[in-house]
This record gives sequence, structure tokens and C-alpha cells, in this order.
Amino acid sequence: MDDLEKAILIIFDESGTVTSVLKSQAVAFCQQIKDSPSICSICIERLCFSKLVQVQFWCLQCLHEVLRARYSGMSTEEKTFVRKSVFSMACYDNANSVKVLDSPPYVKNKLAQILVTLIYFEYPSVWSSVFLDFIPNLGKGGVVIDMFCRVLNALDDELISQDYPRTPEEGAVSVQIKDAMRQQCVGQIVHAWYDIVSLYKNSDSVLCAFVLDTMRRYISWIDIGLVANNTFLPLLFELMLAEGLPDQLRCAASGCVLAVVSKRMDPQAKLTLLQNLQMSRVFGLVAGDGDSEFVSGLASLLTGYASELLDCLKHLNGGDVKQSSVDLLNEVLPSVFYIMKNCEIDSTFSIVQFLSGYVAMMKTPSPLTESQLFHLGQILEVIRIQIRYDPIYRDNLDVLDKVGKEEEDRMVDHRKDMLVLLRNVGRVAPDVTQVFIRNSLSSAVGSSLDINVEEVEAALSLFYAYGESLSEEAMKTGSGILRELVPMLLSTKFPCHSNRLVALVYLDTITRYMKFVLENNQYIPLVLAAFLDDRGIHHSKVKVSRRASYLFMRVVKLLKSKLVPFIETILQSLHDTVSQFTSVDYASKELSGSEDGSHIFEAIGLLIGMEDVPLEKQSEYLSSLLTPLCQQVEILIASSRVQNSEDSPSKVANIQQIIMAINALSKGFSERLVTASRPAIGLMFKQTLDVLLQLLVVFPKVETLRSKVTAFIHRMVETLGSSVFPYLPKALEQLLAESEPKELVGFLVLLNQLICKFNTSVQEILENVYPVIGGRIFSILPRDSIPSGPGSNTEEIRELQELQRTFYTFLHVMATHDLSSVFLSPTSQVYLDPMMQLLLFTSCNHKDLVVRKACVQIFIRLIKDWCTRPEKVPGFQTFVIEAFATNCCLYSVLDKSFEFRDASTLALFGEIVLAQKVMYEKIGNDFLIGFVSKGFSAAHCPQGLAEEYCQKLQGNDMKSLKSFYQSLIENLRTQQNGSLVFR
Amino acid sequence: MALPNQQTVDYPSFKLVIVGDGGIGKTTFVKRHLTGEFEKKYEPTIGVEVHPLDFFTNCGKIRFYCWDTAGQEKFGGLRDGYYVHGQCAIIMFDVTARLTYKNVPTWYRDLCRVCENIPIVLCGNKVDMKNRQVKAKQVTFHRKKNLQYYEISAKSNYNYEKPFLYLARKLAGDANLHFVESPALAPPEVQIDMAAQKEHEDELVKALIQPLPDDDDDDAFD
Repeated sequence: MDDLEKAILIIFDESGTVTSVLKSQAVAFCQQIKDSPSICSICIERLCFSKLVQVQFWCLQCLHEVLRARYSGMSTEEKTFVRKSVFSMACYDNANSVKVLDSPPYVKNKLAQILVTLIYFEYPSVWSSVFLDFIPNLGKGGVVIDMFCRVLNALDDELISQDYPRTPEEGAVSVQIKDAMRQQCVGQIVHAWYDIVSLYKNSDSVLCAFVLDTMRRYISWIDIGLVANNTFLPLLFELMLAEGLPDQLRCAASGCVLAVVSKRMDPQAKLTLLQNLQMSRVFGLVAGDGDSEFVSGLASLLTGYASELLDCLKHLNGGDVKQSSVDLLNEVLPSVFYIMKNCEIDSTFSIVQFLSGYVAMMKTPSPLTESQLFHLGQILEVIRIQIRYDPIYRDNLDVLDKVGKEEEDRMVDHRKDMLVLLRNVGRVAPDVTQVFIRNSLSSAVGSSLDINVEEVEAALSLFYAYGESLSEEAMKTGSGILRELVPMLLSTKFPCHSNRLVALVYLDTITRYMKFVLENNQYIPLVLAAFLDDRGIHHSKVKVSRRASYLFMRVVKLLKSKLVPFIETILQSLHDTVSQFTSVDYASKELSGSEDGSHIFEAIGLLIGMEDVPLEKQSEYLSSLLTPLCQQVEILIASSRVQNSEDSPSKVANIQQIIMAINALSKGFSERLVTASRPAIGLMFKQTLDVLLQLLVVFPKVETLRSKVTAFIHRMVETLGSSVFPYLPKALEQLLAESEPKELVGFLVLLNQLICKFNTSVQEILENVYPVIGGRIFSILPRDSIPSGPGSNTEEIRELQELQRTFYTFLHVMATHDLSSVFLSPTSQVYLDPMMQLLLFTSCNHKDLVVRKACVQIFIRLIKDWCTRPEKVPGFQTFVIEAFATNCCLYSVLDKSFEFRDASTLALFGEIVLAQKVMYEKIGNDFLIGFVSKGFSAAHCPQGLAEEYCQKLQGNDMKSLKSFYQSLIENLRTQQNGSLVFR
Repeated sequence: MALPNQQTVDYPSFKLVIVGDGGIGKTTFVKRHLTGEFEKKYEPTIGVEVHPLDFFTNCGKIRFYCWDTAGQEKFGGLRDGYYVHGQCAIIMFDVTARLTYKNVPTWYRDLCRVCENIPIVLCGNKVDMKNRQVKAKQVTFHRKKNLQYYEISAKSNYNYEKPFLYLARKLAGDANLHFVESPALAPPEVQIDMAAQKEHEDELVKALIQPLPDDDDDDAFD
């Protein structure tokens, strides 16, 4: 072993016994040799004598690198030397030296890569005979044949195949090589392949499969006649049909046939080719072992073949040829359906795409033939099987663990396409589809215990999906199968109804068809039973019963007045659920987003809140619900007062549940009923509000309770209307006790609601709270920008941004609801200056253009309200002209970042122009002097433009003012050419 | 398999090669595994970091010697010489950079030239990012080559174990092999709420298949 060999062994060492120092020495040594001018001969010499694979690999890698980097600079002699040496290695020559072909595949692949590099530079101009030289050597046996295949594969991978990104030069070289090969040697190569496979098919199937896999890569660009002929095709089919041969070889043969089938060609020629294949010979083989490599290869072949036929059918005109395609397609379809139902499908083939294509063919007006109808039935069967869950996931899906969740997600995704296909079939053949759905559902309903969960779930899902394409009218009248299936389903309880998936899809399905019940009231008792017994709200699984609560609420919304006679029964049946919801035990269970179970109270509220319910009954029902809930709260409050200890999470959760329940319940009661027609009901809600407001006093620090109570106040504002006023001062005072940004946001949102609902009636309230809010806000919010960019993505900053946004909305709502005088009240006045400064800064600089627009709108309102004679707010007018007009209306617009092509910028611009108009109208000449004479001239605006601006401003055409101002700004920008810094 | 001074172990260990364009998060990915990060060895001379990543399966402990070949071009290292004796591989790309997906076939080809028939996982990294350029549906390469594909987010640990579990199953020839204990991972740097994301997607799906609501919901203030 010489030094180079030693060094190479060291750099490849993975034993962990070599020190870093030694390793870096070895690397440096190897690098030094790599840089030597005679590196090619050094490598070739080692390759002839070293048996160490690391050395071989390193030398080949090195040669490859040298060729890529220095080919053009190499002498002719050196090139010839390399070419000859490498080629003789690939041909297993040199009787006395070490043979690279005896080394592991990765060494041989490296050798192939070098040959391909030489082909890249030298074929066909310099080394035109490379392929022809190779062919006679194939007679030496498997080793050389294997190497020949590796070279051809590498040629495909490195230069020809379209699967890799290539440079335009590489593309050009690839075309050149293909052209030369087509002209010169492809025929001989294919002959060689044929001879090899014929010779070795029984003795070396691995080699034959390798050869065929190589051939498969070439079929797409060589003359198809070389393979699709009476010599090669029989061989390929013989291999596929020979049951005794190994799977790998048969699969390789089917891969070649698939390549032939997929060859891009004119549809007429393609059809002839497909006819000549006599593919039906192999249809029977697909029924073999579904897990075998060959069957899955064959499945790809047949689905590919069917797709091509469908393509021919689409593109061919003329009765005869169309008929031939149809005949062939009809012949193969049963096998395709079999594959879809029983085999693992090659993932590049899309069942849905193929079947949708087939169904689309039938949309022609001609009536469907018998075989088409039969095939549609088969397609429906494929859909049913494809949307069916695998029983091995039954338990996972039932408890919805991680695996179950994944499987459910996968299926939801998978079903999307399948159900689109179902709809297409339904459009082409409504009767066949209806019969199919009815049959699958009836067999699910009618069967005894032996039917499995997945069948039932699939049948229900099909029926559910069927409803999607039905018109409202069809739903109501129960056209087609609905009249039969809906009542049947409503009265069905499946043996597997305890299964989560079955129960859920059952509920969703009956809810979907509820419009039918709306018109057919005799089924209402069945509906109620389904929702109220253990198929629905009383189901043993929480996820199901909560979903049932939600769906029941929707059903109640729909059927509403029809349910009046059943209220008593419903309430009785829900009694346990209702009391459970607010029990301590229940509250500790996980709350899952929107389906938290409170919908059951919403449903009850909708029922008992109807005017159709007599007042006496209504108050009885409502008080039977509200009284115990309020009592429960009072008891909890009392215990808190006594203990004065830390409030346990379970107690808080419990109260929270109660508020949610009351909140949901109140949704069913309209403002009109509660305030006008039945004030007694209103009184009950007021009493409830009284109780719940105490929570703010007792639990001032518990954020979740505060937000729940706030939500309830929101609700009561809607329900009680202005009669909620007496409660507000106290409530608002309590809510203001906490001043974290998050709490302030909630508070402002409540004020916004009040202002929007009651307008100036809340002026007094606002005059009381605004000073407090102002004090808080201006101490929390920064006067300029909230930091942004990297590192600022913290919860605190997000809360500040949220507060800022809400505050601007609040100011906007105040200004636009005639409440600007609140800002001027004696106690508020100290905040006027910071408020105006903040608005000014924001209207010029905020990165959110919508916020900027809102601020400009606030200015517009304030200008309208305050720029009066005599001056309402001393100094305001001067501020408006000098600060707002100049900075916001001129400089902020002149800034290049103000992008006129952006829609929201344009909207902001509209407001800015409007502001100028309003300023002119309210202030008149003083505005012109300040804005035009001072502002424009500081921006070097030409006199002519300034005059034209004044004219436009005095006119009545807002649109032309706007477009003029835009051109003025653009004009000024080009003049400045960015040289003048305004701010 | 190991590098200088790196401990060898008495339980099954495999050389795992991780490849893909620069900047896609290969190093971040392997570094999430804390014990591997602790024991890793760096060879600046050849530009490779080998992280021994241990996983606990129902059949016992296994180790992946994860060869992170970051920066190899710069160091003029072994290039595809690193792949020699690779027993499994991860090809990674960045879903926010289209070019890194375009180069996946080339990485695959270079890998397969040296390692024929090894199990390979394709991983789309950075799925937590908003500016995604390669949508899940556009990822089709794995289907052509029969690879497994996973969407991952190294920074949030999303799907961290998936590629390793797949490779472990393939290497053990046991489709039911599972991890019995999670490896210690660095805490997520970004909190992506994949559950919420999923929920969001599901909602979109539901919205597509559900009929329009009967009436407007009046829950605006809830």
C-alpha cells in the first residue's frame, strides 16, 4: 500500500479510530495529489492495480472531477489515454490487472458516470463508435451487460431524462446525442437487448430485468417500431404470461409494455398500436396475488392502457375508430374495476381522474347503452369501496387517538375527489345512482349484527353526499328516494350506533334532510327521538353528544314553531343533560372549541323564547332554568366571600359554564319580546344580570370570568335594549378596575357596541369613562410606532397592537356618532393634546393603511365639528392647517412609499383629498394660505399647478380634484427626484 | 460509521445521509435532537457533522448516525463519497423555496448512484411558514420513485419523529415497529398550531360540502 492509498483509506475511515489530525493530514495529502498535472494517469494506474474499493472510488471520483473541470485544456493524447483506459475497464479487458467491474455497484456507477461525461464531450464528434464498440463486448457475459445497462441508465439520468432540471446547453447536447443514436445505433442496441433477454430469460432473470428496466427508459424517444413489432412484443408478453418466471422479470416486461402504451403519438396510430397489442391476453393475470410486484406492475399497465384508450376516444372522430376504442375500453374496464376494488393502485394513476374522464364521455345527449349503465354501477361500487374505512383502524377512529386522527384526515381528503365523482355520476345517471344509494343504505339498515361499522358508515356517507346536489325543492317534497329513505333512517338504530363515526354521520345526515321534515311534520317525533335518545344527545361519547347538541340547535332553528307542542317532552328529556352541564364534574372535562355543549341551552332558549309559548308557561320554563343557575352562582359567590381563599380552578370553570349556559339560553329571546310585549321576562334577565355582575366584584382578578361576564353584558345590551342602562355605570366601573391591555380591549369593544346601538344616548356614560380610558391608554400606548420587525413578535407587542387598533376604532365610532364633544368635557380635555398628536402621527405613518384611513376620517369629523366660528376649540384650526394638512395631506403623500397603484392606498388617498375639501369648506382662505402658499411652495410646487389646485378645490367635482391632486403629487415627486427630504 | 473519538454502541445503528440544497434547515433539523446534538462530532477538514440520534422502539434502542453534509462544497470534501455505506437517507427541501424542490431529483439521482435500493424519505421542511411556495399537492416526486413523503417543521418539531420511524420500520423490516418513548427535543422555537391549522383546513372542507347555513348566526359578540 502506498501513501496515496493509505491516505484515501484514512479519509474514508468510519471506524472512529483515526484522529482528527491524521485525517486532516490525509485530506491535505490527497488534495495535493489531485492538483498534480499527471493526476489522470495516477488515477488510472491505481485503478489497474488497487483492489481497495475506497481507492477505486476516490480515483474514479477524481477522474470525473478532472474531466468536468479541465476537459478542454487536456491534450489529445491524454484524452485518448483516458478514453481507452476507461472503456477497457468497462469492457472487462486487461487480463492481468484488477477489474473494476468486480467491485460493488457504487464503484461501477461511478465508472458509468465517467463514460457518460466522455459521451457528453465526445459523442458523436470525437468518439462516434462508443456504443458500437460496446456491443461486441456484450458477448462476454453478464458483467459487461450489467455495465452497459449502467452506462445507458447513467446517460438517461445525467443527460436525457426530463425529470431533472437542465441548462439549455445540456438540453442541446441531449438532443444531439439522441439524434446521433437514432441514426447510428439504436437499432443495434435494441437487437442486443432482444438477444440478451431471449438468451438469459431462464438462466439470469435479474440481468434480464435490469436490461428491460433500461429499455423502458428509452422507449419514449426511440422508433417505437423497434419494440412494438412482431418480434419483441411476443417476447414481452411471453415473459408476462410465464407463471414460472420470477416476479421481478415479469414486472420489468410489463413496464416496457406500459412504456409502449404510453408512447406519445397521433391518436389514430396509437389506436392501431393498442389494437395490435391484444392486451386481453393478460387480463386474467391481475386476479393473482394482489401483493406481488408483478400484479401491481400489471395493474399499472392496465390502468395506463385504459387511460390511453379513453384519450383516443376523446380525440378520434369517425364512427368506426370511435367504436373500436369503445370496444377495447369495454373489454378492459372490468379488469380496471377489479384493480380499483382489490389492488394497491400505482400512485401516479388517479382513479378519480380516469373515472371522471370516462363519466364525462357520457354527457353526450345519446341515451346510455347497457354496458355504460353497467359500468356506472361499477363506478359507484368503486366509490363505495374507496370511501370505506379500513376495519384495522376501527378502534383508533372510535376513540380518535393520534392514529385515528391521521386516518380520519386522510379519508376526509381522499373522499373529497371521490364525492365529486359521485356527483358527476349522479348527473349522468340519476336513476342508477339513486338505486345504488338506496340499496347500500337499505342493506345497512336491514342487516342484522353481522354488517360492519365501516359498511354502515360508508352507506350513510354516500347518502349524506347525495343530498349535496339536491335542490331545496327536492328536499322539501322528498323527491325520489328521500320519501322512503328519510323516514326509514329516522326510525333506525344501528347495532353499531355506539361507534363515534357512525353516530356522527348519522346525525349529520338526518340534519341535512331536515327540510323534508319541515314539510312532513308527522316525522317530528322520530326526529326528536333520534336527537334525544342515545343516538344523539344521550350518546355515550361526549364528542357525539356535543355534536348532537349543536345539530339539535340547528334543527330547532329550522323547525321552531312546529315544535311548540313538544316543548314539555323535550325539556323533560334534556333535564339531566342540562343539570350535568353546569355540574362541577362536567366542567372539568375538556372544552372543545365551538362544540362546548352550550348549544343545548341555545336550543332550549329558541324553543321557550317563542311568542307562541304562552307567557305563563314561558316564565315557568325560564325561571325553572334561570333560578337554579343563579342560585348556584350565588352559593359559589357566598362560599368565596366566606373562605376568602384562593378560588379553585374547578369553581371558576363551574361558574364559567353557568354563564355560558345563561348566555346561550338568552339568545332565543328577542328584544321586542323582552322589552315590549313581555316585560316580566325582561325582569328575569335583569335579575340574572344583577347576580352575574356581582362576579366582577367577587372575582376581579379572574380573567376568564371577566370575559364571560362581558360577553353576557354584550348579550343583554342586545336583548334588554336601553333598559340595560341602569346597570351600566356599575358594570363599567368594575370592568375598568383592571387595566391590562387585553382587558382594555374588551372594554372598548363593549363601549363600541353601546355607541353603535344607542348613539348619543350614551354621552353621559362616555363622559364619565373617557377620562379613565384616556389616562390608561396614553400611558400604555407609545406616542410613535410600536416596534416591528425581528424580535418584536411577542405576546406583549401583539396585545399593544390589538389595543391600538381597537382604540382607533373606538375614536372612530365616537367621532362618527356625534360624540366628539365628549373629548372636550372638562375632565377629558387634558387628553385632547395627546390624542391629537397620536392621531396625527398615525395618519401619517402607520403601516396599516386601513388604520391611517380611519384616522383621516376621524380628522374629517373633528374638523366638521370643531372648525366653526367662533372657534369651538382654541388652537385646533391652526393645528389642522399646520400639522395635519401639511404633514398628512402633503408630505405623507409625497413620500415614495405612498403607492398609488395599491388599492388600499388609493382609498386612503380619497379620504385625504376629501379632508382638504372639508378643510377648505370649513376654514376657507386661511386654509389656502397655510396649505398652498406655505406648504406647496416649501415643496417647490410651480405657481401654475398651485393655482390650478385652488380652482379645482373650489369646484364641485371631487373626482377631478382627486385625479388632479394625484398628478400634482406625481409631478412634485419627479421634480424632487427624491433629493428633498421632507421629514 | 462514527467519526474520530465518537462512541460506538452495542445496539443496532445505521448510517443515515441527509441531503438537500443549502439553507433548507438540515442542520436545524438534526440539532433538534438534544442528545445527538450533545454528542455530535464535527470534522471541519471534511465538512461533515455526524449526529448520533437514538430512538427507543418497542424492539429496543436504535441509533441513526446522521451525516449532515452541510457546507461540503466549500470545504472541497468527499462529495458523494459521504454517501458510501449509507443505509438510509432523508432528502430535504424547503417548501418556501421552489428551487430547492426542483433540485430534489438531482439529489435523489446522486444519492442512488452510490446507495442503490436504500429506504429514502422526502421531507418538505418549514411548513410553519406562511409564505409557502410548494403546496403539498404539488409534491409528486416521491410518488414517481416510491419514496415516503412527510411535511415537517424543524423549528416547531412538527412531525419530527415521522421520517425516523419510517426508516426504522424499513430497516427492521417490521411495519409495526413503533417508538415507545419520545427523544428529548429542543423546545419549539415557533409555536405553530398545527391542530388549529388542520382544523382550519377541515373547516374549509366542511364548508365546501355543507349546504349553506339556514340563517345568519346572531353570535357576533360571543
